[in-house]
Parts: sequence; C-alpha cells; structure tokens
Amino acid sequence: MPLIKFECDASIPEREKHCYIKKPGEDTTQYLPLSNIATIPGSLSERGCSYCGAKLVIGGVVKDAIQMIHGPVGCAYDTWHTKRYPSDNDNFQLKYVWSTGLKEKDVIFGAEKILRKSINEAFDEMPDVKRMFLYTTCTTALIGDDPKAVAAEVMAARPDVDIFVVECPGFAGVSQSKGHHVLNIGWMKDKVGTYEPKLTSEFTLNFIGDYNIQNDTLLLSEYLERMGIQVIAHFTGNTNYDDLCGMHRAKLNVVNCARSAGYIANELKKKYGIPRLDIDAWGFDYTAEGLRKIGAFFGLEKKAEEIIAEESAKWRPKLDWYKERLTGKKMCIWTGGPRLWHWTRAVEDDLGIEVVAMSSKFGHQEDFEKVIARGRVGTVYIDDANELEFFEVIDMVKPDIIFTGPRVGDLVKKLHIPYINGHAYHNGPYMGFEGFVNMARDIYNATTSPIWELAGQDIQDLSYNQDIVELPSAEAS
Amino acid sequence: MGCSVEERNRTGIINPVFTCQPAGAQYVGIGIKDCISLVHGGQGCCMFVRLLFAQHFKENFDIGSSSVHEDAAVFGAIKRVEEGVEALIKRYPHVRIIPIISTCSTEIIGDDIDGLVTKLKRTYPDSNVHFIPVHAPSFVGSQISGYDVATKAVFRYIAEKGDASDKINVITGWFNPGDLKEIKHYFKEMEVDATFFFDIESFDSPMMPDKSSFSHGNTTVEDIKDSANAKATITMARYEGLSTGQFLEDKFDVAHSPVPMPIGIKNTDCLLGEISKLSGKPIPKSLAEERGRALDALADLAHMFFANKKVAIYGSADMVLGLAQFCIEVELQPVFLMIGDENSKYENDPRIAELQNMPLDYDIEIVTNADLWELEKRIKNNRLDLDLIMGHSKGRWVAIDNNIPMVRVGFPTFDRAGLYRHPIVGYAGATFLGEMIANTIFTDMEYKKDREWLLNVW
Repeated sequence: MPLIKFECDASIPEREKHCYIKKPGEDTTQYLPLSNIATIPGSLSERGCSYCGAKLVIGGVVKDAIQMIHGPVGCAYDTWHTKRYPSDNDNFQLKYVWSTGLKEKDVIFGAEKILRKSINEAFDEMPDVKRMFLYTTCTTALIGDDPKAVAAEVMAARPDVDIFVVECPGFAGVSQSKGHHVLNIGWMKDKVGTYEPKLTSEFTLNFIGDYNIQNDTLLLSEYLERMGIQVIAHFTGNTNYDDLCGMHRAKLNVVNCARSAGYIANELKKKYGIPRLDIDAWGFDYTAEGLRKIGAFFGLEKKAEEIIAEESAKWRPKLDWYKERLTGKKMCIWTGGPRLWHWTRAVEDDLGIEVVAMSSKFGHQEDFEKVIARGRVGTVYIDDANELEFFEVIDMVKPDIIFTGPRVGDLVKKLHIPYINGHAYHNGPYMGFEGFVNMARDIYNATTSPIWELAGQDIQDLSYNQDIVELPSAEAS
Repeated sequence: MGCSVEERNRTGIINPVFTCQPAGAQYVGIGIKDCISLVHGGQGCCMFVRLLFAQHFKENFDIGSSSVHEDAAVFGAIKRVEEGVEALIKRYPHVRIIPIISTCSTEIIGDDIDGLVTKLKRTYPDSNVHFIPVHAPSFVGSQISGYDVATKAVFRYIAEKGDASDKINVITGWFNPGDLKEIKHYFKEMEVDATFFFDIESFDSPMMPDKSSFSHGNTTVEDIKDSANAKATITMARYEGLSTGQFLEDKFDVAHSPVPMPIGIKNTDCLLGEISKLSGKPIPKSLAEERGRALDALADLAHMFFANKKVAIYGSADMVLGLAQFCIEVELQPVFLMIGDENSKYENDPRIAELQNMPLDYDIEIVTNADLWELEKRIKNNRLDLDLIMGHSKGRWVAIDNNIPMVRVGFPTFDRAGLYRHPIVGYAGATFLGEMIANTIFTDMEYKKDREWLLNVW
C-alpha cells in the first residue's frame, strides 16, 4: 500500500488518504495525499485559523499600518508577540496590536458603533499613522457587522487615511490558507492600482510571498539592488502599505511563497499582464538559479553572475564545511507546506541532508505535487499531521533533527531530538546564500550539542557511574 | 494622598493585558491529569493558546479543537464536538476528563454543550470519562474569569460527597510551578495534609534518559472528587478560584477561608495564620526563620535602593494588588496599577480599600479594564515618571523603548529564562522578587552609567 495508515489512526481511518510513502517507480499522481479538506475534530491537528492566515501571516507584516481586529480581545492578543518579522522603521508592526474588544452587549446589539469609535481612536492616538488593515473575526462575522461600510464612512470623514478590510473569520475554510486567499484577492480588487509608485529604474519587480522572517527580505533586497533592480513592492516583508497599492507598475512578479501569495501574482498577470516567475529563495544553488532567471528576464545576466560569484566566494567554503559534517543526517520538516518543497532538495543538494518525513498543515494538492516531485523515495509525506502521528513517524524514520514550531520542538526535546524553528528560524535569516549557511550552522549546532549525549546517560545506572567515580555498589550500601 | 480607581476611557484596545476566557479555561484543563480539553470553536482558539503556553513554559500541552468550519458555523457545530470527543476517547485511552470549552463563535451560534454532555453520558455509559461543559464566551471577562469559570465547572461536575477527610483544599489561582512548590512546602513544614488545585508542579518536566517524561498536570479526578470531603478550602485568589471555594461551602459544607494572594511578607503571614487556625497546628520555627531570612535580604535593599522609587504594575487583580502591598513593604512606591479586565467586584476589593486608607505620601492610580497603551501613553506624555515596571512579557517594548528597567511577573514571561520555576509568593517569593528587582536596577545602573560605582559596599 503506497498510502499508509498509522496505528494511532485506527479510529480515524480517513487519515490514510493523507499519508504517503514514496516508492520507486510509482506513478505518484495516483497517490497524492488528500489536502486542504476539513480537519478531523479532536485529532490534535496542528492547524490554525484563517484569520491567522490573513492578519498574522500577511497583513501584520506591513510596517506602517494599524492592524484593527474587530472582535473580542483574544484574537488580537494571540497574534501579538508571536512573529519574527522585523522592519527598518523600528518594528512598529511587532509592537502593537489593536482590538475593538467586543463585549456581550455588542454581540447582541451590533458592534459597528464600537468599531467606528475604535478606528477613530486608533488614528487619534497615533496621528502619524495613516493606514489600516481591518479584520473581522468569528464573532463579528456571525453577527453580520458591515466593516466595509464603517471603513468607507471613516475614510470619507478622514481623507488622509486609508483602510483595507479583510472579512475572514476563523471558521472560514479549513486552515490558515483561506485567509491568504481572501486577503490576496481583496487587496488586488480594492487597493492595487490606487497608488502610483515613483519609478527609479527601468528594471522593476514585485517580490511576492516573502514575509521578512528574521530579515530575509532585507537580505534578498540587497542582491536585487546590486543588480540595479527596483522592487516596487514586497508582498509583504518590510513593506509600506502604499507600496503594495502600486504593485501594478512592476514588470515582473517574482514569487517565493506560491501557497500564500500565488493568488495575487496570478491576478496581476491576468489584469496587468505581469509575468509570474516562481523561484526558491531558500537554498544556495536555488538562490543562484533564481537570480539567473531574474537576470535573464531583464537582460542582466552578467550582473547576476557577478553577484553569484561574489557570494559563492564568500559563503560556499563555509557551506561546504557544514556539508562535510551534515551529510547523511536525517531531517523532518513539519511546517505549513511550502518549506517542504523549498527545502527537501535544497538541503540534500547543498548540505547532503536526507529529508525523511514531511508534514504540511495547510498545503494544497499542488504543494504535494511539488514536494513529492522533489522529495526522496522512502520519505513520508503527510497532510495535516496530528500529534500522535508525529510520535509514530519519529519511531519510523528516527530523525536527527526536526524543523518545526517551538511547541512541537519542546515536545520532541523529551525524546532527545533537537529542533530548529522551521517557521521563524533559530538564528536567521535563512534565505539567500548567507541565509542557507546560517541554516546549516544552526543544524550543525543543534545536532552536535553535548546536551543529547548527556540526556541519554542514566546516573542511576551503575555502569555509567563507575566510569566517572568509584561508587559503592548496591550491595555495599 | 489618595488612591484613585478608574476604568480605561477608550472604547478600543491597543495592546491588551489579557487574552480571552477560553485561554484561561484551557490553563485549568492542562493542570489536570489525564485531561485533554476540547475547545469548541475555530482552530486558532486552541492553537494560539497552545503556543502561548509554550512561550511561557517552553513545554507542550495537549489541547484539542473541534475545528469548527463554515458549514458548522452556519448550521450548528455540536456534531463537531461529538466527533472530537470520540476521536479523543479512542486515540487517547488514558483520558479521564474532557472539558468542552465554548468560544465566541459557538456561544453565538448557541450550541448546547450542556445538553451534549447529557447525551455523551448515554453514548458512553461505561466510560469513566468526565465531560464538563465550560461556558467561556470571549466577549465576557478575560483569561482570568475564564480560569475562574472553568475551575468552578470542573468541581461542580466532579466533586462528590463521601467520607470526611482531614485534608484542606488549596485553590491557588493562576500560579507558576515555582509558586505551587513554595506553598506545598509550607503545608509540609506545618505537617498539614492538603490537596492542591491545580497541581501544576510537573509542568516543569525533566528530560529523562528513558525519554518518558512529559509536562502535565497532576491533579486527579479523585482529588477533585474528594474535595467535597475536605475539612476546609483555602482560596488564594479572589478572581481565580474564590467562586469555587464558595461553591464547595454552599454545596458540601466545606468551610471556605479566602486569603489574599500570599505575595509579600504580611500576606504570607496571613496564609500561615489561616493554615494554623484551620489545622490547630503551630507555625514552626523553621518558617519563622525563612521569614527572617527574607526580611534580612530585603532590609539590605529597601532604604538603600528601593525607597522613593516609582513602580507601575500590570496583570491580574490578585497579583497586581499583592505586588503593590509587597512594594509598600519594601519602600517601593506602586504609583500606577493596571488591571487588565473589568469586573464589578473590583470596586469592593478590600485590598483597594486598604491602599486607600494607608497614610502614604504619594498618590496611587488604579486603572481597571486597562490596556498597555494606557501605560505607554502616560510615560510618553510625561504624566508618569517611572523607575520600574513589573508585568508580563507582552509589555516589554514599553520598558525597552522608554529605558525603564522591568521585572517580569505574571503570565506570560517568555522573554526571560526560567521564571516559571521561581516563586513570587511566600517568603521565598518575596526574597526572589526583591532580589530580581534589585538586580534589574543594578544592571540598569551599569548600562546607563548611573552611579554604577555605588554597588560595592552596600
């Protein structure tokens, strides 16, 4: 059976269709795991909600906008102090969160009034900030508030501000993914084309689907700057709100995260004819390949080669030093989805690491097509894995390192398995040439830590103790 | 000089002090052994809270979601709970308690979780799993009231009259493992048998050679059941468990002794006095010595470094008011207190009356329903001049950006290592707090070159 049924899933047999082990010579199209379908309640799935996909992942990265979350306080509190997307304006987007702090009476009588007041207060309290993302949540979607009408009213009364409304309650869709979609399409429809960027180069692009985790965006921007390319907008790493309104003026859309942001790239192509170029911004060789493609598009091949040569001279020796030491290590990737297909081959080619099991929280079929195409034979591919499956997979594949979130990292630590934060990194950035060396260094440090050997030693075991000091034997005491 | 109490006067919230009720209910659930809560709502209501616990404790805790999707939100989602319960029971055979925690979405659509619990008992007649409906709409109260509501629900559904015991129920409120350890130590020193709710000491779990240890609560179904037979209940937090103490008294005649959260010397004295009164046992010399050691340590710091220093404190009412009392004991001036939610009972809190009646030569301002923008705004427009901030890590930028030393207390404290392990209650807690404050101020003096040469012979 190419699809696998975990023992822990005996009572939820439908999980079988979400788990695949790649076999040699198999027609993998026959066995693509089911994905992007309803979650099984009580399964301890890793999935979050679609509001998260809109606010926390994409909108909240924008560095000069208020993030007004229309609902009870939890949705705001919960998406604050959890992300690592810095900015070059002193991290405004990390420091604040806004909520309309909905109460019972607002649920009963409608909450548009408090929404209006909260928006006005927010602009009054921070008079330098003129832009706002406004999100609905489960509560305000169910009671049927009309946030767009309220936003329009405020914008009419305050001509210097601009508000973008995202109607994306947590129960929409089946995961974070729906939130990406709603925000993408809404932005395209409501905001793209409302601002004319200043063009400073004949070579312009949008960098789409990169959220400046630990300054990834800043690192990549530097390469593009050296090539003489103007980035009209980053969607949405270290970006301004207005820059995103000017995306229609770019000549090329370079896409890294095709999952969360492929939508807007497709729409920009449809409406404005801007070609979409998918690259992998993680991975040493992949980065070179991406720069070459961008160079080829603009006729800047020579510049691209120069950068690749310079960066390789600077970083390749370090990368190879790690490759020598990491070759043959076994790795799991349990993240959202795209990093599975960005990383599986990159760590294999650049670092000699074998990715033995992967799980995607919210990937779609196309994500599995990509990762299974690039991934190894014998590797486990899981959609929407849950906690008990994780334990079983660990028994099956015995990884040396797991790339996943910190909570799961805390869990596998008890099994003496090191983790690297696959979402927000340990010591990033991880993109680009330098970034992949950072990633290699973190893997090396994690897997060679003396902690793991110490953890395995039992001081109650006399044979261990006798190696260290002469202890009285059990009989003697 | 006076102590004023007012509410936040803005409608919206900028930088909340607290999250919502279901999070507090989930904190209760993880304190119980063989318990997996099922959060009935969208998936974020569960996953963000699991992350929050991981931020604070650096540990994983198991919590399930009913994964309410759009169809269920429109046509009713109770079936999702049924499916969730079935998955939990079948895949986690050791589970004995499943609190079903409602959220804003499922309160609004009106899913009948109480009715479901009755049905579940029929569906699983031979099961020894307790199903507990916990109503935690997030448009009411905060994580604090959610903790209170869930605590009471658990006792209401499980406590059962049997043979009388000589034990004392201790309902602590939202503690850290280090706090609980300190309180347990007092009962041991006084040779008084007690059950602690909730026993979260093992949240700080070891990494063992056989890989067998994981973080979990240690309060059992039997412990909760037996609470009805105790000789008395001590509750340490008015807003995090007092209602449960009252319930046990009303329903099972278990005498209820509420005490102020034992932060600071006098509040700890009060706790030990209460234990002594209830048990008839004297306070041993060992504890008098612990108290003396704490005072000795604090006396080195109070008039030399703490006197006249202005402090802002934010968090839960029980903690904030307790810390304010502690500050006054060591000559710090708790001039600005922020309680992160509203509760009509705050007005009548005896600790606020006590602050109001103290002959202090400075003003104290208390803001309820506060957010952290309230603090930042006052600092920025120079209405508030501070030497120290005490609060949880989500307020860190206020301190960092305004160059004010900050001591992390409460929940969550993710930007410093290991704080869950240390007490802020009891004499040891007072010592730890005092020394943490001093060391924070000392470091600040060094970075700012502010009389850093002073720290030699104090």
